[in-house]
Amino acid sequence: MAVLKVGILSCSGEECLGGTISRLATRKVLEEMTMVDTVTLCLPLYNAGGTEERNFASVFPTISVDGCNKLCAKRSTEKYSGRINGSIDVSKIIGNENALNTKIVRNKDLKEEHFQMVEEVASEIVKSISNLNPDIYSGKTFRGCGCNE
Amino acid sequence: MSNKVKVVPCSGIGKVFGLVAREAALKTVLELCPEKAESVCLAYIVTGDDEVKEKMDGSNCITVDGCPKMCAAKNVTLAGGVVVEEVKVLDTVKDHKGKKFGSPTELSDDGYLVVGEIATKIETRINEIT
Repeated sequence: MAVLKVGILSCSGEECLGGTISRLATRKVLEEMTMVDTVTLCLPLYNAGGTEERNFASVFPTISVDGCNKLCAKRSTEKYSGRINGSIDVSKIIGNENALNTKIVRNKDLKEEHFQMVEEVASEIVKSISNLNPDIYSGKTFRGCGCNE
Repeated sequence: MSNKVKVVPCSGIGKVFGLVAREAALKTVLELCPEKAESVCLAYIVTGDDEVKEKMDGSNCITVDGCPKMCAAKNVTLAGGVVVEEVKVLDTVKDHKGKKFGSPTELSDDGYLVVGEIATKIETRINEIT
């Protein structure tokens, strides 16, 4: 049976709460989702010469999770890997005011309401994964190497 | 334009030391040196947008990296930031052999102990250069 693999790329932004929520929701999906093999990709590695990261995103379906409407993870993935299969803007789920909160950013400062936000965003990531075309999970539509052409 | 020192962690999402780097940087800018230091999203730096390049250009920066790939240091340099200190989480962790620091999702008490030590080192460096 083919391994169903999906990459999730979180912005993990350090300036505001949205980045923290994006990181924790991504981690939650990674740790708890069992039907699909989810992999997180390190965004900074794209620029720092992470060829494995770039290649993964160009071969397997990838979903970006951004904390604010700058959409840095989405744009960087498109820049270096050429395509994105799903995109989540956390600020649209938890509200712009929450997403841009610059006082509560650390994990240790989070309260119950923030963990509820993590749950909501994680649910949206799972929905986004379930909306992917099944063919791209299995690599059936992958024609990257061109060996058979 | 802000003259605050930019403290930029890697926030690596796959390993506990990425979270240690992130929490140490945030402890510094939010708790220890809020008047002298600020954070800049590394993901934003990676985009290469003109706005963030302008913000980083010539700025004093301290990077905090959780693994030897040094993503924060490399990206800040590419963006035009002046890296006055490359903090490596592993340099502090090696003094705590055998301890469990938590996971990439949540740190243990020992993880926060290391966070405190690294944040103090960053604070000392910031006070030296400001």
